[in-house]
Amino acid sequence: MEAASIAHAEHHGPPPAHHSSRVEAPTLGMMLFIISEVMIFGAFFTAYFFIRVVSHDPWPAAGTHLPEAVAGVNTAILLSSSLTIHWALVSIKHGNRFGLRAGMVTTFLLGLTFLTIQVNEYIHIGFAPHDSAQASVFYALTGLHGAHVFIGLALLLMVTVRSFRGHYSAEHHRGMEVPGIYWHFVDVMWVVVYTTVYIV
Amino acid sequence: MALSSKLRAPGWYRAALYDILGFAFAFGLVVLIRWLMHQHPVVDGRAITIVALIAVPLFFLVGLGTADYWFYWAAGRPQRAEDHSSHGAHTWRDYLRVNTDHKVIGIQYTVTSFFFLFVGGLLAMLIRAQLAKPGMQFLTPEQYNGVFSVHATVLIFLFVIPVFAGLANFVLPLMIGAPDMAFPRLNALSYWMLPIAGILMLMSFLAPGGSFAAGWTAYAPLSTTMPLGQLFFTVAVQFAGASSIATALNFLVTIITMRAPGMSFFRMPLLVWANFSTSLLVVIATPFIAASQFFVLLDTALHFHFFDAFVGAGKDGNVIMYQHVFWFYSHPAVYIMMLPGFGIISEVLAVKARKPIFGYRMMAFSLLAIVVLGFTVWAHHMFVSGMAPWIRIPMMITTAIIAIPTGIKIFSWLATLWRGVLHLDTPMLFALGFLTMFTLGGISGVMLAMIPFDIHVSQTYFIVAHIHYVLFGGSLFTIFAGVYYWFPKMTGRMFDDRLGKWHFWMTFIFFNLTFGPMHLIGIQGMPRRVAEYAHQFATWNLIISLSSFVLGLSTLIFLYNMVASWRGGPRAAANPWRALTLEWQVSSPPPVFNFDAVPTVVGGPYEYGVPGAVHGIFAPPEEARPVAAGAPAGRGGRTASSAGSTGEDEE
Amino acid sequence: MAVIGVVATAVGIAIALSIHWFPADASTQAQNLRTLYDVLLIVSVPIFVLVATVVLYSVFNFRMKPGEEEKDGPPIHGNTRLEVVWTALPAILIVGLCAYSYSVLRSNESTHPGAMVVNVTARQFAFEFSYRNAAGREVVSPDLYMPARQPVVFHLRSLDVIHSFFVPEFSEKLDAVPGIVTTLRVTATRPGKYPVECTELCGAGHSLMRSAAIVVTPAAFKTWLSAQKPNAPPPVGVPPKNAAQPGVPGSTTPYANPKPPKE
Ligand code: HEA
Ligand code: HEA
Ligand code: CUA
Ligand SMILES: [Cu+2]
Repeated sequence: MEAASIAHAEHHGPPPAHHSSRVEAPTLGMMLFIISEVMIFGAFFTAYFFIRVVSHDPWPAAGTHLPEAVAGVNTAILLSSSLTIHWALVSIKHGNRFGLRAGMVTTFLLGLTFLTIQVNEYIHIGFAPHDSAQASVFYALTGLHGAHVFIGLALLLMVTVRSFRGHYSAEHHRGMEVPGIYWHFVDVMWVVVYTTVYIV
Repeated sequence: MALSSKLRAPGWYRAALYDILGFAFAFGLVVLIRWLMHQHPVVDGRAITIVALIAVPLFFLVGLGTADYWFYWAAGRPQRAEDHSSHGAHTWRDYLRVNTDHKVIGIQYTVTSFFFLFVGGLLAMLIRAQLAKPGMQFLTPEQYNGVFSVHATVLIFLFVIPVFAGLANFVLPLMIGAPDMAFPRLNALSYWMLPIAGILMLMSFLAPGGSFAAGWTAYAPLSTTMPLGQLFFTVAVQFAGASSIATALNFLVTIITMRAPGMSFFRMPLLVWANFSTSLLVVIATPFIAASQFFVLLDTALHFHFFDAFVGAGKDGNVIMYQHVFWFYSHPAVYIMMLPGFGIISEVLAVKARKPIFGYRMMAFSLLAIVVLGFTVWAHHMFVSGMAPWIRIPMMITTAIIAIPTGIKIFSWLATLWRGVLHLDTPMLFALGFLTMFTLGGISGVMLAMIPFDIHVSQTYFIVAHIHYVLFGGSLFTIFAGVYYWFPKMTGRMFDDRLGKWHFWMTFIFFNLTFGPMHLIGIQGMPRRVAEYAHQFATWNLIISLSSFVLGLSTLIFLYNMVASWRGGPRAAANPWRALTLEWQVSSPPPVFNFDAVPTVVGGPYEYGVPGAVHGIFAPPEEARPVAAGAPAGRGGRTASSAGSTGEDEE
Repeated sequence: MAVIGVVATAVGIAIALSIHWFPADASTQAQNLRTLYDVLLIVSVPIFVLVATVVLYSVFNFRMKPGEEEKDGPPIHGNTRLEVVWTALPAILIVGLCAYSYSVLRSNESTHPGAMVVNVTARQFAFEFSYRNAAGREVVSPDLYMPARQPVVFHLRSLDVIHSFFVPEFSEKLDAVPGIVTTLRVTATRPGKYPVECTELCGAGHSLMRSAAIVVTPAAFKTWLSAQKPNAPPPVGVPPKNAAQPGVPGSTTPYANPKPPKE
């Protein structure tokens, strides 16, 4: 405690930091990251707004149409994955490792299905990003979201692997809770994208 | 170590290897895709360069070892206990590797940023040499456009923004009594993205067709029709942006969750408040510039049509959209480049005037007011852009309103000086220089907010004058003040105050001679971003150029002072300025883990002149009792007290 | 100190007003702006003088004197009355300035029913001005000719990237944006020849994208216009892909006109 000499301080490591907030650092970090992500989407929606509303051009571009029905089914798939990951979280909170594993695997597979259907939609949709500004916005918005699903899936995969190695318990499960927040965000964002791009 | 094991361990050898891998990856990916899509030729240099621009830096980061821990985690292996092997610096070599100590990262940031100040400044010298006489000098117009674009981009993204992050990285955890930042590994990653961004920007000079040359604003559709060099900007800005988002997030979490016991929000030093506000701006606004550059990248590389007004048949893109998205970031960015400076000034003025900050709470609130207002004014950069005219009116009003919270800050600083005991050393001189010069720049800003006046001077040298009064007279003066102020803490050495004063006076005088006349030639109609101008402006431009060269030389005094003092300056005491804030209560430089035990905060940070005032106590809360008056400051004395203590414990 | 401040303010305002800031004014818009600028100076100088005087006064009077190395200043934490004053005063100034600027803007941009229309087409790296002559045919000129004292409406278009049309003596400028038509209003007053500058970075030739605005008497303008040979209408709109010089007069490609602006 007396002289804070370098050599002395080194072998006992840093003092434990004081927790000045009830929120855990990783959770808060994820929240702030999500705010950033929302703003990225916000900027892409700005592009959408200018090309659709300010320029007063038809949406989608003349001679094209968007498969609302297929995308609707896809929406349902993605939304149900939010339920399964929640189930996984509730399970591990009760110490139910099986529920955790089953929940994680289902969530991962649902997400993967969503992404596959999305790619399939690109292949059959009948227009390319360089056909019109509307097409550019369509691919950019859904593609941005697709990229987030991809990252989310990568996180889910890690959590799934770790859950099979028994890394989580009723007390310690922040490692799956924080990626879970991200996955919920990806789902909610899709609802916004689906509504604005396909429905409205 | 054998080469093969060097190639496997994190570090520069592996980074070099991974760079090669990254390039091979880019090459392979492009060839594969083009082959699959039947495009000819399959080997396309431009496409490979674009993919490599993104892939090589990412591979480099992995090779250097910024992500090893996360891969370890991702692979599902059991977590290692932190062995602190990447903490602290013992030799200068430790500054060249991935290090998770916030103090090391702070110095890495600061030194790297100053390197880019000199690069950017040197480019400014080129600008001024070209403009010394009317008519073309030694740069072609393309080269000239490239030079001022890189000048501005480097100084904004690689100097002002990161140098503030660097100074705060060093002092902020100390100030709030935290052993480190909340996410030390993310902190290291943030730092290493910076040199990447800088090197990409400078490498653009080697690109076929020259460096990026669409200004730092890179308006579409000019930027989407430029040669390859423009993409170096597009990608480099993504790295700089990601770096600043990650740092901001780290600051916010650190400030919210790691303050010492007793340090309520209203006991935080104003530098912490300033970085808190700045980080909010960064986290919310920076994604917009990322998006704007994604659009440009998609338009250029994959022929999207965000900004193509000539697709026809109701399928056109929207050109003005770029400017809205860009300025929605870049206006807040100017406060990202100013608010941390406000924080520095508050620290320096209180300590050097030996008085509490006047109106502490209003100082904090006005920062938050600027954050909020900062998001409502972006279109004041677009008064002549051809957007819907009515948007100009609300933007004029909100822009002008920002003068009120800023005015509160300026006047409170003036009141802090009043009846103080002013120590007029180098940091203080720069702080006072800031007060006057930033007021000038701010006033010209409010003039610009007045639409009819802006219509006349927009895109002229009046804007160049405003830019440099706020960025040089504002931000850079605060940076100099901050660097001198914390130099003893960061290096453990004192700087040469006499040289510092020379630096100040030369900078102050020739700064005004360089940028002052620009107001006049701007109003008279000299456009900005021109390599060549009318004869009527010749005299003023010659004066400006000559002054700017002396201004450049004055920076060499600073450089010499820093280098010489760091190597051989007299040893600094723990608390040479008799400051109250916590960073001065530990040794200079601070111990590896900052504190033996987290201090307890029992009072405000600026209680100068208050008998017996105490800010922090170095004992756990239960035993915390202020030490009596006369206890030696610094190493031995564990109280942060300016004039002894009455034994009153506020906790 | 108050005396020094007042004197410095008076001197400062006098100097600021005596500087020839602007080029000669040649439009009603420019005349309005000159007055607005004088008001801005009269408001700004006292603010700067106030800040500078307090700083200098403090430096001279409150600097640390020998023997005061350990001394601290009085612990003043704030003063609500003062803080209210320095919040309210700038607020009042700002309200005044914004209101006045708004009225100048309104009058500078007011519409005139009989205004003459000039189409401005910008491209890398030249301007083109087109008029309708008495016979209703299109006349194209590389220089801008304008009758004095007659309101003119400019419709600006761009064929490639963003450009900006600026005449310092008119104190008016506006971007020419690809894909849309933008509208600018000027009433020239003083006959003479003024520079037209492109003020938006548009590529390598940006510095050289200059032209001339020639203001003449209405009679002289009529004579000029009728002496001009009507050309093909200036090609406006979609340039052919890969055209090296899109929109060169005489080019045969017919272009669709972008939507005209709503008045
Ligand atoms: C550090 C960076 C910084 C800061 C802090 C500011 C601060 C301000 N800026 Fe500036 N600005 C830039 C950097 C900055 N700016 C840059 C880089 C550009 C050009 C970008 C480009 O095109 O390349 C620009 C351009 C720019 C424009 C666009 C001009 C154009 O392109 O046509 C405008 C217009 O409104 C503007 C306004 C303002 C205002 C009102 C403030 C205010 O925040 C200032 C507030 C401060 C004060 C007013 C002084 C203190 C107050 C008092 C003493 C109280 C009393 C005062 C009054 C009542 C007036 N700025
Ligand atoms: C923090 C930001 C910052 C800083 C510090 C500076 C510093 C300087 N700037 Fe810059 N500038 C900008 C930000 C900045 N600038 C921005 C944003 C723009 C707008 C760009 C755009 O339009 O897109 C701009 C544009 C700009 C222009 C207008 C270009 C144009 O529109 O055509 C000019 C012209 O004079 C200029 C000059 C200078 C000068 C002389 C300095 C000096 O202060 C530099 C001083 C020198 C040094 C700091 C060190 C270097 C010196 C040495 C290494 C040794 C000395 C050598 C010799 C004497 C030969 N700048
Ligand atoms: Cu056209 Cu600049
Ligand atoms: Cu701004």
